[in-house]
Amino acid sequence: MPNTSIRASFGATLTKLAKTNKNIFVVNVDLKSSLHLNEFALSYPKRFIEVGVAEANATAIAAGLAKSGKTVFLTSFACFSPAINWAVIKQSICYQNLNVKVIGSHSGLMSGSLGATHQMLEDIALTRCLPNMEVFSPADSIETGKIISAVTRTKKPCYIRLVRPDTPVFFPPRLSFTIGKSQLLSTGKDLTIIFHGPIGYQAVDLINSGWTKANKISIDLVNASSIKPLDQKTIITSAKKTKAVIVLEDHQKIGGLGEAVTSLLLQNTISTKFIHLAVDNQFGQSAKDYQKLYNFYSLGPDQLKSAIKKITK
Amino acid sequence: MTLSTSDLQKLSWQARLDILDMIYKNDGHFGGPLSCLDILISIYFSGIFNFSKNKPSVKDDNFILSAGHLAPALYTVLAHKGYFPKKRLDTFSHFKSPLQSHASTSITGVLYSSGCLGQGLSFASGLALADLHDKKKRTTLCLTTDAEHQEGQIWEAIIFAAKYKLKNLINIVDRNMYQIDGSTEDVMPLGDLAGKYIRFGWTVKEVDGHDYRKLAKIFELSKQSDYPTCIIAHTTFAKGVPFAHYDYTYHDVKNLDDNFYKLAKQEIAKHLN
Repeated sequence: MPNTSIRASFGATLTKLAKTNKNIFVVNVDLKSSLHLNEFALSYPKRFIEVGVAEANATAIAAGLAKSGKTVFLTSFACFSPAINWAVIKQSICYQNLNVKVIGSHSGLMSGSLGATHQMLEDIALTRCLPNMEVFSPADSIETGKIISAVTRTKKPCYIRLVRPDTPVFFPPRLSFTIGKSQLLSTGKDLTIIFHGPIGYQAVDLINSGWTKANKISIDLVNASSIKPLDQKTIITSAKKTKAVIVLEDHQKIGGLGEAVTSLLLQNTISTKFIHLAVDNQFGQSAKDYQKLYNFYSLGPDQLKSAIKKITK
Repeated sequence: MTLSTSDLQKLSWQARLDILDMIYKNDGHFGGPLSCLDILISIYFSGIFNFSKNKPSVKDDNFILSAGHLAPALYTVLAHKGYFPKKRLDTFSHFKSPLQSHASTSITGVLYSSGCLGQGLSFASGLALADLHDKKKRTTLCLTTDAEHQEGQIWEAIIFAAKYKLKNLINIVDRNMYQIDGSTEDVMPLGDLAGKYIRFGWTVKEVDGHDYRKLAKIFELSKQSDYPTCIIAHTTFAKGVPFAHYDYTYHDVKNLDDNFYKLAKQEIAKHLN
């Protein structure tokens, strides 16, 4: 699988959309190059608002622009936005229910060498608790483009989680992204694996490499890129069938997708085995190769294999 | 609707009675709403800015209340403007009332829901920027408090407005010198606020925030500025209730006692005879 850049896909998609949609504005906090917005800024300088390193200010400015009818992308790293500016997102965006798309790059352990301060492992927790807020986490560069296009067709606030490195492409181009829907990347009867974001490639690898077949395990692999609203129907149907659920995510266990799934299953009285592979109440650390971090924090392919064997035993 | 100075003054004393009643019946913020009231009345009733009677219009100028706890003053002014029946002020902060204790868009005429300090000037900057972009000839007014300038975000907005030359933005600072825990200069000195704004590239005016003639003149001048304008309005905390003037414990009040209410009402009523 070739690796491509989710951030580049974001920048290219938005720049393309802005050509015909004159309503699209970017409010940026000194991360233009990193978010691949150089071309946007050059092509549409009046719609590219540079606020400098001031996330709280940028957030309420974005809200003011949205109040005036603009579709606003607030672009930063997840460790700054939705983190430093959370109370501003709550009051100025969500409480007013304004059309601001909060883009947080460098989420998860995937931001690798930048270390604990920049590896944002709490962004899903911070955003999914906010009324009016929708939360999306694209699996790869292809799905990123589809999600960015989809959110420009709504007037709702949302948070979209991006990552720093180039990542494997595994979202089938024929599939579409619909808010509130997940996609089944494989179907089976023994186990449900639910993930969001590029970490899902590890599960795809196990299937494509023949490991699951060799172990006689068939899997419903659910890409829950629409974390909020969550595709309740697909998750409930699959869990009822397999009675074994693994949630895999590059995020803290607390407040992540795993908690959303357990809450959903319990409220629907679905009894199932459950393993949550996520960061367990720890901070990250620097490493050039994020795979080393995945292994260290028990999110790697070996731990995924162990979890699959344990839960299907 | 343009009112004469004496009409504006009369309206302000009537509105003070309304605020007193609202807080006596329901608890809430007191000193600040009374200090900023004349500024609000001047904005909405002096005829310098465009605010439609009875119903807001898309052509109206923008007013953003950054300090949401001043809601009692804003609600009273909007009621007098005819946006909703005055009777509704009695439901201030009641369960299911659109008159939330901090300013909320749930009631007609409020453009921005506030409560957490320091965000409104950024929001107003976004509105002003959109108007410049869309070539709309509209003024965006923002009311902040002096103590609110202890929030870092305010200063982020100040440098932003200077960078983008938001000449259609006016920030009025209610300089009443008090906050919850005491004097602003004790809690965290703001010092030469005007000098700071000037250094940050704004047009700055200082005015007596209870003088309708001077407020009107300053507003007219501000509309002609090529830079964002800050109006530092010097006001009296709890204006109109002399025995509460300069007493920070009246920032917000619970269970205002009957005697206080009676005496305060007498003080205000003097100006209506």
